[in-house]
Amino acid sequence: MGQSRTLVEFKKLTLDSLRVGEEFVSDDHLVIPEDIAAHAFAVEDDHPWLAEGVAPPTLMANQALHLRHSRYIVHAGLHARMEFNFLEPIRLGMRVRTRGKVVDKYERRGKPYMVTEYVTEDETGRALVRGQFTQMIIPEPEASHGHAR
Amino acid sequence: MATRVEPKIAVGETLPSFVKDISQRRIDVYSGVKPNSIHSDEAWARKKGFSTCLAQGMMSTAYVSQMMVKLLGPDFARGGTMSMAFIKPVYAGDRLSVHGVIKDRQSDNGATRVVVEVWVENQHGDKTAVGHATGLVS
Repeated sequence: MGQSRTLVEFKKLTLDSLRVGEEFVSDDHLVIPEDIAAHAFAVEDDHPWLAEGVAPPTLMANQALHLRHSRYIVHAGLHARMEFNFLEPIRLGMRVRTRGKVVDKYERRGKPYMVTEYVTEDETGRALVRGQFTQMIIPEPEASHGHAR
Repeated sequence: MATRVEPKIAVGETLPSFVKDISQRRIDVYSGVKPNSIHSDEAWARKKGFSTCLAQGMMSTAYVSQMMVKLLGPDFARGGTMSMAFIKPVYAGDRLSVHGVIKDRQSDNGATRVVVEVWVENQHGDKTAVGHATGLVS
């Protein structure tokens, strides 16, 4: 292979290592019936989404939440806030991806937090869901509580 | 998606609440089964100081979405909003109840936007998630 390739270094996520303005992008995900069936089971949602060919509005929320794992080694965290603006329905067969950008980081009561804006798009780049979420950062040495994912 | 006839939505109205039993199996399906995850690895969760595995806060946003879809129909996915704060952990084995009260009706580009205060409580009556959701009615 004659092309040079850039290796992405995965840093441990800390308030210091995190850079405001850093951008993330998820892998593409093809929305299949099993996604909707699994989600319906997990949250006991009896709406006939499959019959309508439409996904529950929050189906891809974890694609956004896991964005920071694409660039950092995340020891543990805590999901503090989540905001959604639902623009267009996510439909079966769509290939969707989520982009995110770190817009703030701060410390409150001794705890570090990061704020990420995100947009989930279809394969044409059309925005389906926009929003923002806040996650606590729990660095490895002092981690005793928190979501590991 | 079919247009839904505007339901009778009055400020102050309490939406029908519903209950969710948080089983480990449902958490596993929602979050995936991974080692060193407080959602699916009980030994790890205990090591981190929890009594058992925790549900993702995000599951509660799905419950609120269900409440809004019951109120407004699947068009909640077009123009709906939600803002939630997760204020207490939810454990496997918890029984949650999902609540909403209509707080406002606002004009929004020829439509009406309904604002709902929403919250989720555990079996002890403690709120685990609080926030607002809004959606458009024709």
